Amino acid sequence: METISSRAVPTVQAEREAAIEAVGLCKSFKTPVVAQGRFSGIRSLFSREYTTKEAVRDIGFTVEKGDFVGYIGPNGAGKSTTIKMLTGILHPSSGSVKLAGVDPHRDRLRCASRLGVVFGQRSQLWWDLPVKDSYDILAHMYGVKDTDKARRLGEFAELLDLREFWDTPVRKLSLGQRMRADIAAAMLHDPELLFLDEPTIGLDVNAKRNIRGFLKVLNEEFGKTILLTTHDMDDIEQLCRRVMVIGGGRLTYDGTVEGLRREIGLPTEIKVTYRDGYVLPRQGDDLIIAADSRFAMHIVSRTESTLTVEVNRQEVRTMDVLRELGHWGEIEDVEMREPDFEEIIRRVYG
Amino acid sequence: MNERKAAGVTDRRLALRNYIKLYLILIRTSIRSRMQYRFNFALGTLLAAIIQLSEFLMVAIVLAKFGAVRGWTMHEVGYLFAVMTLAKTLYRTFANEVHNLERYLVEGELDQLLTKPLPVLLSLMPRGFRLMPGELLQGGAILAWAFGEMLQTGQVTWWAVPQTLFAIVTGGVVLFAIGMATATCGFWTTRISMLQNMTEDAAQTAARYPLTLYPGWMSGLLLTAIPVGLVGYLPALYILRGELGLWVFPVLAAASCLAVLLALRFWKFGISKYQSTGS
Repeated sequence: METISSRAVPTVQAEREAAIEAVGLCKSFKTPVVAQGRFSGIRSLFSREYTTKEAVRDIGFTVEKGDFVGYIGPNGAGKSTTIKMLTGILHPSSGSVKLAGVDPHRDRLRCASRLGVVFGQRSQLWWDLPVKDSYDILAHMYGVKDTDKARRLGEFAELLDLREFWDTPVRKLSLGQRMRADIAAAMLHDPELLFLDEPTIGLDVNAKRNIRGFLKVLNEEFGKTILLTTHDMDDIEQLCRRVMVIGGGRLTYDGTVEGLRREIGLPTEIKVTYRDGYVLPRQGDDLIIAADSRFAMHIVSRTESTLTVEVNRQEVRTMDVLRELGHWGEIEDVEMREPDFEEIIRRVYG
Repeated sequence: MNERKAAGVTDRRLALRNYIKLYLILIRTSIRSRMQYRFNFALGTLLAAIIQLSEFLMVAIVLAKFGAVRGWTMHEVGYLFAVMTLAKTLYRTFANEVHNLERYLVEGELDQLLTKPLPVLLSLMPRGFRLMPGELLQGGAILAWAFGEMLQTGQVTWWAVPQTLFAIVTGGVVLFAIGMATATCGFWTTRISMLQNMTEDAAQTAARYPLTLYPGWMSGLLLTAIPVGLVGYLPALYILRGELGLWVFPVLAAASCLAVLLALRFWKFGISKYQSTGS
């Protein structure tokens, strides 16, 4: 029998455990082939035909306490499936998950009381009741003391601007308000670990900024471990120290944001302005080999006095490029543009 | 060692008390949510009463024409009908969301419940808590009518009243177990409405009549695999007709407990097979 009150965990042990430890996670879905026609429900029930889809294959990683991890990948890559396995909603087909040393499937109730989960597409609030009532119910559910509840809600209300819709039924909130209310709800019992599945989906710039600010405070000032999925690259760039990329159910990258940029080796754009025009060594060709043939550069665009080239900075130093460009005319100004994060992701997703 | 055991018992008792408190809070929440749509509630109650009554009138017309069904009088069939209605009302009042599980499976709503530190049934059941005065009134009225006649002719004594209440409670538990086992199939098939038509709606309708009406294999099925026969028919054999014996009541209690325990087992297994939906 799982009980609410058996929540206490030996703290010494909890300190040493990683916040999340996933080993060899796999999930395949068996979907019965849906029968057509009359009594299809009953026939499907007894049907032995299945299609198997491997949503997640052999994913393993460790997240330390206090990390802020972004989990990205195209639609259908297995992001949500992974999050659902981590939070104890789905049982993995094979592999194991430990949250601070506890298995969320064997010990779901104990784990759940130490987790905050936000699904951007769904609300955990009571649809027909005022926002504050949902907090009362959740406080009872998680056994949060009244004084703690009041203090935390005071802080959240400040950081997330909750007061303006405190008494409004949840169904009447705007998407941005609802999301803020939902994130506060997930943090009401002060969990160590917070999972967010697309928390900024469909929000305007202000709401996004507000939510990012709150998550930053949670992570930096309160030391919460946070894992979020998103399609918004600003979320990743502004919040996450670490990115994991999933594609086709496999982990294809796990490291820093800069590392991801480097790994893909996207070209840097260099735009030079010449004082008195320039002369290309070979006309009518967009690919130019340097005089000492140590590298090549690609011409993106040109005007009378400017020239924009692409080079891969993994292969060549910027100074060498500028020296080469200096042979063609007298340089007045140089502008450099690093590859955009959106662009990186587009390449990663392929 | 003993101390630790004692602490475990206190723990468990504390947890149980917490659960009960939370259950009541969640029920209050459901009622408050529902009362925001008062018109819908009033209309629903009225319609339920009318539908229930017209269903019984159909049965009554047939009975009035033929007088009896396999030796069961109109009042006896009315009794079966009323007990089934009341048991079903009991089940649906407390566990309507178990019956509506399909919605949670199709829309992925169950995800939210699984992230809460509560057994899923405890967060699920209070969500659908609803008062069903229409069904209660109709079932009560038919039961009173049937009892009135039978008390007058001396077929039953006042003892039949507490016995019937007991049967209604165990009947509600049996229907709940059947509903839960059926809903659990949804963890594999997602859609369960067709199966529910069979194990819940059709079976309940069938058990509003004396089971002697049906071929042997079918009445056997309705007493074992889908034990709706335990709701009205079996207790009626003793309470109204003096067949069997007093042992019927402990058997009913044991059978309903067993049914719920088996259904719970199955439910727990089913949840581990939950597939959720895409987001």
